[in-house]
Amino acid sequence: MKRRIIAIVFFFLGRGFAACARLDSRVKREVGRWADGTVVTLRVAPSGPQTSWGVNDGVFRHLGSRPVESTLLVTFKNPDGALPVFLGMKGVLQAFAEHRSTLAGDISLGMSVVRCLHIVEGYLFPAVMTRRILPSPAHREKPMIAAYALTIAISSAPVFVEGGAA
Amino acid sequence: MIPEYYEFRNSTKILSGTRAIENIPFELTNMKVTRPLVLTNKQLRSLGVADVVIGALEKGLIPAATVYDDVPVDSSVNTVNDVAKAYADSGCDGIVAVGGGSVLDTAKGASIVITHGATDLMQYMGSEVLVGDRMVPFVAVPTTAGTGSEVTSAAVIKDTERHVKMGFVSYNLLPDVAVLDPRMTVGLPPRITAATGMDALCHAVEAFSCRQANPLSDCYARAAIDLIREYLPAVLAKPKVQKNRLAMANAALLAGVSFSNAMVGIVHAIGHACGGVAGVPHGEAMAMLLPHGMTYNLDVVGDRYGELLLHLAGPEAYCAEHPADRGGAAIEAVRALNRMLHDKTGMPLTLSQAGVTEEQLPVIARTAINDGAMAFNPRDAGYDDVLALLRRAF
Ligand SMILES: [Fe+2]
Repeated sequence: MKRRIIAIVFFFLGRGFAACARLDSRVKREVGRWADGTVVTLRVAPSGPQTSWGVNDGVFRHLGSRPVESTLLVTFKNPDGALPVFLGMKGVLQAFAEHRSTLAGDISLGMSVVRCLHIVEGYLFPAVMTRRILPSPAHREKPMIAAYALTIAISSAPVFVEGGAA
Repeated sequence: MIPEYYEFRNSTKILSGTRAIENIPFELTNMKVTRPLVLTNKQLRSLGVADVVIGALEKGLIPAATVYDDVPVDSSVNTVNDVAKAYADSGCDGIVAVGGGSVLDTAKGASIVITHGATDLMQYMGSEVLVGDRMVPFVAVPTTAGTGSEVTSAAVIKDTERHVKMGFVSYNLLPDVAVLDPRMTVGLPPRITAATGMDALCHAVEAFSCRQANPLSDCYARAAIDLIREYLPAVLAKPKVQKNRLAMANAALLAGVSFSNAMVGIVHAIGHACGGVAGVPHGEAMAMLLPHGMTYNLDVVGDRYGELLLHLAGPEAYCAEHPADRGGAAIEAVRALNRMLHDKTGMPLTLSQAGVTEEQLPVIARTAINDGAMAFNPRDAGYDDVLALLRRAF
């Protein structure tokens, strides 16, 4: 059950991130700094679910739950540790500080991912939830409804990143 | 304060005191090591510091199979690979690392290469990535009283070609034995003594106030600060007194255990960036930035800083202060300590005194927000926050 709930959140978070990379200048700028070939994965041990995003040839994409070679892999040790984070009850940095997850790869890229997730969560979660988990009140450059519309529509459509080749 | 959840480990055996080094052969025997590799640097050899350990191994009939003394100031991946090769070539079965942070980090990196047969260290970068037991018995002999690296689960190795600073955090990296012997630090010049002491203080203060602080790490932090309050002034007044040196070595170790388990925050994040961008020595950056970092966090963890006033300033000063003002007074105590160190050793008080230019501040801020230590700071800090802090510290 917990895995199923997290899988549903990953569905929205995955697409929501890609939507924000289009809509929100801050997320766009962050992913624009990621090196080509970057693949970021959030995963729940021991058997998933997982969701990934990547930059390839200057294009940022949500890669969904397919198996990938990650350059940054954040693994939650179990669904119990992951659930509060993806239900908006615990901040992602707090969970990391509590050893709820491991991190394979460059922590500085991890910091960029966290900044993005904070912004994305600000769009996807209502203020009553984000108040507890975000470092400062959610600031939305575009209306939530626009993010949701694009989240539903986006599927795996590419997002061209700033300064990218495409 | 009891966190919802925490983890803690300090499995390192500690030998502390007069002639502690002479017990290293016994510890090696315990670990079935017969051919140790001694890792150090040229400067420690020329000062005769490393030779105290090398001599003790000879007298204990477990002489170094090889001595690798080419560790540079910053641990690099090339050195790590070189050390791993020397270890294999000489048929070594353990490492005795004698040095500061870079030597100990190099030993940790080499232990990864040797254990996992790693051809690319980058594969093992990150937090809690290393699995299985370390195959390298590892004795750490610190020659500064600051980094606490002899009891930490972290290492930083530079890949100079790919321009990447690789961070490793794993319980797998904890040394088996840490040896604190006053002979190792008794010759340290005053300014380095002061700066490394402030690094230790910063570890304790940040660990005590970071997201991961827990009752066990708190004990170590409090004990470290008590020793620093008493012995940092004492060691500067009487640098040759071994008791003073031993106390500071213990303080650094205690603070190391604390931050290895509770991590550090904004002061380290910005300090690392000041080092990388402007070459500010780590300990000096810590001293300058600590009051500013504390001021930034005061609204969130003022009560925690208030608790530290007892240790930073002593019981009388603590009792004299209204509880609501103790956090601010703790910051003042750090400032007073900085002024004393400045007067005694010439340690800079501001970033500009340390040679940082105004043009470098935005680059430092950009680097700092990507530093892993920022993840654990109790208050979130973005680019603008860090830049503002840097301007105040300038
Ligand atoms: Fe430090």
